[in-house]
Amino acid sequence: MAGDRREHLVEVDGRTLKVSNLDKVLYPEAGFTKAEVIDYYVRIAPVLLPHIADRGVTLRRFPDGVEGESFFEKRCASHRPDWIGTFPGPGDRDGTIEYCALDSVAALAWSANLAALEIHQPMARGDDIDAPTMCVFDLDPGPGTGIPECARVALHIRDVLDRLAGLECVVKTSGSKGMQVYVPLNAPHTHEQCSAFAQAVAQAMERDDPAGITSVMRKSERPGRIFIDWSQNSRHKTTIAPYSLRARPRPTVSTPVTWDEVEVAAGGEDLVFEASDVLARVSEMGDLFAAALELEQSLPGVGG
Amino acid sequence: MPRAIWSGAISFGLVNIPIKLYAAVSRKTVHFNQLDSRTGSRIRLRKVSAIDGEEVPSEAIVKGYELSSGEYVTVGDDELAALDPEASRTIDIEEFVDLADIDPIFYDSAYHVAPDKATLKPYALLTRAMEESGKVAIARFVMRSKQYLCAVRPKDGALVLSTMVYADEVNDPAEIGEIAGLEDVEVSEKELTMAKQLIASLSEEFDPARFEDTYRQRVLELIEQKASGKTEVVAPPTPMAEDKVVDLMAALEASVKEAKAARRRHPSAHADEAEGAPEAEEAPAPKKRSRKSA
Repeated sequence: MAGDRREHLVEVDGRTLKVSNLDKVLYPEAGFTKAEVIDYYVRIAPVLLPHIADRGVTLRRFPDGVEGESFFEKRCASHRPDWIGTFPGPGDRDGTIEYCALDSVAALAWSANLAALEIHQPMARGDDIDAPTMCVFDLDPGPGTGIPECARVALHIRDVLDRLAGLECVVKTSGSKGMQVYVPLNAPHTHEQCSAFAQAVAQAMERDDPAGITSVMRKSERPGRIFIDWSQNSRHKTTIAPYSLRARPRPTVSTPVTWDEVEVAAGGEDLVFEASDVLARVSEMGDLFAAALELEQSLPGVGG
Repeated sequence: MPRAIWSGAISFGLVNIPIKLYAAVSRKTVHFNQLDSRTGSRIRLRKVSAIDGEEVPSEAIVKGYELSSGEYVTVGDDELAALDPEASRTIDIEEFVDLADIDPIFYDSAYHVAPDKATLKPYALLTRAMEESGKVAIARFVMRSKQYLCAVRPKDGALVLSTMVYADEVNDPAEIGEIAGLEDVEVSEKELTMAKQLIASLSEEFDPARFEDTYRQRVLELIEQKASGKTEVVAPPTPMAEDKVVDLMAALEASVKEAKAARRRHPSAHADEAEGAPEAEEAPAPKKRSRKSA
């Protein structure tokens, strides 16, 4: 295959940027190239940017493609163009480090050119890293379980949140094996409140269905169960962003879905979307995750 | 629990004692990977022909032994296999010697010898007998199609096996001129006494735990600092194929079209470009700051 190892100077969104090795195959099983990764991120930008532009993101880079080594990059690369902004975020010890702000189409093209296939977002915005704007339930299927079991637990969480406090929530696939349910807050909360709430819900559900659900991280508890990971609400943790690609054999995407789709998936249907599917869905359905940005809700026991 | 690297039996007269070998030493050298500083990409080595620089497929590669005439004799793997030492599964004890008779220069790699659970007694018996007689067993065995000479000795109630180099593998120090010149040096009795006093004043019981690899510590500290500070991936190379600035989507268009066409032609066209181990959900992330994520 004739590899285009060269660099181009390109213009996007009024910014000039170098892109390189466009023909490099990053997903060998699917033959999906770096050009296609950049193309996906540029096209998905209108719905992706509102979810990540206001917070410092962690990039997971795959310079040799999904079958090569990867690394998480929290501190924004020092060789970034001067127009890539940063947000302070939790550091390793005390203090903060500067995370990349992907707040424009050009910034997304830049990170995609670095083979940053996965974009992971914190729960809080960059201008107030102690105030999460949403609360997440990360559903991680243990060995012997999959999307149908996850979907059933997601539906169960939706019912519990509704009965408990009339809370609405949105749901997406992880793009990998699991799903995530988000409770939009957009009202003052702390990470501790979100963690405690999610843990309480997870523990109650575990008591209700100990054979199918666990709320503890121990691997030995996972086989045959869905792990409801409430700890993703910690200040220093990040979760895969909606519309981010995943480093799986095929270019799957963490895809916002409707509750109707979740019900069908609970019946055993597949719930996997690749980059091209997601672009088509968005042009038809818009941003199914818009509520995460707008809906103002308070967790029970939190003032207001 | 470490993994056994060899299993078989110690053969001692008419007695066979089933045992397993475990590595006795884990080297703690800091390992680095080679990266392309411009892209962070791992470096892959290719085998190429010295004549035309083309990559040579592994099935085409044979072993060649260079003759003094500059010509090569090629030897096939099957021919070598025919010469392989018989892959017996026994460590054959040939004799017992005094530990002090073995110069440490002969020792190569050390292995813990573990007994089989079902036959603890003969193992314990051999160990105890060797302890009380103060003897070390010299034996031969075959591991990974190589025949080894080894010393088996008791240590803290169990057996330790050290592979040994063969005598003809030890370089003769007499070939090193400076060493050969030592014979002619004269030292006085007084100088010798002083030197011996100095040695006496520095004499200690040997305690290996007091010695640490300070170089490795410093390397790890450097890595730690870098990992918690800058994750430096050097900027892409500067030489530009073309200086003309084009619109991004226009630049992508041809590339995307080509990738899609390639998939239509050969749905698995890129499979052979795959390299490295297939990645699991929780991929090894070399950087310390990896976070769990969905």
